[in-house]
Amino acid sequence: MIEFENVSFNYLRTEQASVRNINLKINKGETVLLCGESGCGKTTLIRMINGLIPHFYEGRMNGSVSVAGMDTTEAELYETAKVVGSVFQNPRSQFFCVDSTSELAFGPENMGLPEEEIRERIDTTVALMKIRSLMDRSIFEMSGGEKQRIACASVDTLNPEVCVLDEPSSNLSLEAIEDLKNTLLGWKQKGRTIVVAEHRLYWLKDICDRVICLKEGKIIFDMPMKEFRNLSEEELRRHGLRSINENLSMAPIETGKMNPETITFEKLFYNYRNCDALHIDRLEIPRNEVIAVVGSNGAGKSTFSKCICGLMRGFKGYAIIGKKKQKSRNLLKSSYMVMQDVNHQLFCETVMDEVTLGMDEENRQRVVEILDKLGLKELADRHPMSLSGGQKQRVAVASALLSDKDIILFDEPSSGLDFYNMERVAELIRSLRGQKTVFVVTHDPDLVRRCATVVLRLENGQVVNTNSSGEIKDYGREKEKCYSAAVRICGQP
Amino acid sequence: MESAVYNPGKLDRGLIMDPRTKLALLITVTTFALGGAGGRRCGMLVPVLCMVPFLLLLTAKRFKTAIIGIVLFWGSSMLLAFANAHDLRGLIYYIILGSCGVLGRFLPCIMMGRYLMESTTVSEFTAAMKKLHVSDNFIIPLSVMFRFFPTVVDEADSISCAMKMRGINIGGRHASKIIEYRMVPLMTCCVNIGEELSAAALTRGLGGEVKRTNICRIGFHLQDYAALLLCLVPWVLLIVDVVR
Repeated sequence: MIEFENVSFNYLRTEQASVRNINLKINKGETVLLCGESGCGKTTLIRMINGLIPHFYEGRMNGSVSVAGMDTTEAELYETAKVVGSVFQNPRSQFFCVDSTSELAFGPENMGLPEEEIRERIDTTVALMKIRSLMDRSIFEMSGGEKQRIACASVDTLNPEVCVLDEPSSNLSLEAIEDLKNTLLGWKQKGRTIVVAEHRLYWLKDICDRVICLKEGKIIFDMPMKEFRNLSEEELRRHGLRSINENLSMAPIETGKMNPETITFEKLFYNYRNCDALHIDRLEIPRNEVIAVVGSNGAGKSTFSKCICGLMRGFKGYAIIGKKKQKSRNLLKSSYMVMQDVNHQLFCETVMDEVTLGMDEENRQRVVEILDKLGLKELADRHPMSLSGGQKQRVAVASALLSDKDIILFDEPSSGLDFYNMERVAELIRSLRGQKTVFVVTHDPDLVRRCATVVLRLENGQVVNTNSSGEIKDYGREKEKCYSAAVRICGQP
Repeated sequence: MESAVYNPGKLDRGLIMDPRTKLALLITVTTFALGGAGGRRCGMLVPVLCMVPFLLLLTAKRFKTAIIGIVLFWGSSMLLAFANAHDLRGLIYYIILGSCGVLGRFLPCIMMGRYLMESTTVSEFTAAMKKLHVSDNFIIPLSVMFRFFPTVVDEADSISCAMKMRGINIGGRHASKIIEYRMVPLMTCCVNIGEELSAAALTRGLGGEVKRTNICRIGFHLQDYAALLLCLVPWVLLIVDVVR
């Protein structure tokens, strides 16, 4: 179905080839997992299958790629689009219309199909994916998981023989991943050929038949899923892969003593248009510890984080930090959010300017110290936008540390990261423990288990479960298990 | 499995009008309210025309915006009338004349544009353009703009949050660079999103050679005829004026 013959590719303005001499044959109806460290060439392969390389992303390409007997390097993109459907990583930037129904119609409309048939196709897709309740709605108001389902549905209406997905689960909660899994199973039953590039592997172990691992643009192994499942953790780590039998428990790390000081938040209430988004009377957390905030999409996590950072207009609650009452305005001064898209918060021309921007007084020595600690010393004169994602994140953390913030909040710091980068983020967060109060809003159990000392689970705007490290809850079960409740996929035992 | 926690509201747009009618209204309102065409003869009609966008916003259930708009519009017109009646002179008069004049003329047009943007879906807009026989080379960029507008607003919001956290504000130390700090990340983010967006659209077959279908049904209803009639009156008056 898909055939790569001796394919190499260099992106424009890069020295290194992103894939080299790839020879690969994927049969009809196969479901293939592409994995490997960040930058190993997974995305490049996906882009070759759907024709975005070389038609959209330019560069130097050798060899040929054929999909269903069609040469994707020669065929125009709209020809390839009839055969290959693509789902991308970012749910925000892959819908073209504002409302869901026109979005589903968008693909078939481009093909010039008659109106009747388009309506039929939409009905079939809606029934198959059980998304009746999402029809005729504004996509801008949907949660990430819902957006991703619409993205899958709009691929489905084109009825492609081949589906490619590029890190589709990066921004999704565990519940939404479960939905995605069901969608893929449905496609598989229809006999479609599916290629998924992913970092989080656990949800694909029952879907994929074959695993291809890449490193530095070369295939290092290609084996059936049966065999792959038996690989040891060490072997997976060697290739920078996450666990296939990912432990979904969100238990905090074992630590000695917790800081006895506390921060108390009171009256954490917030309403959006008559909808109770956040409703917490009182929340006491230990100061200078790492607090993970988990919960499904729409549970109130982002409202919670905005309130804590004092970014919510009309928020009436306050925090008591060391006996001082801090209202919303002071919270804004004493807290800092490291956003999911770090590009939003880098303003200056050099890293040095960036980190000293919020400082009250120049303190050269402290700046150097902190840059050194975060491994940014050599990068001090670079433009922040020229750095890698992880480095940008560090710059944001450095500027928070230097502007003497008490609270640092990370919004999904590990989305779309491979094993090593995730570990690095966890390490960074752990290193802040004891000096700052850190909140980590995340869907990633791996990250929680590596850095959090307290886990808060939000549901419908309320804290439904708190689990502190070292605390044994009396559930009559093992401590570890009791907290896997945090990740028990909604509605499924 | 449905996530019961959060359900986006069904699109509730109130009175549905054909995009072509809205476009006609926009052109008429800008010509006569902002441009002041037609002179004295249309003078009586202008306030009526100016009320149209606010009424439309009311039908779209945007009560707050509509009421603020109405109060501002009538407030400024009355202030201007008051200033004229009392024969005010000097600086105060010019300030009133300037601000009220600008407000009274621009506000209805801006509101009309806003209503057009908010109440029209991309596919309705494309369908209307198709019916007006506008070329695809013009429609596609315009429809992308429609889609892109809310995204830019979203991005700008996040950036201003980031700026607040860094203490970059008008009263702060970095006030002189406030525009630069806002624009640089905004442009980077918009370029990134734009690129991803075009990639996604291309993989779904945009830009093919076949004639694109549109499942969106648009057409004129009673409300459209009423609105078009209203638009016709000042134009007829203008033409009569010119011919004579």
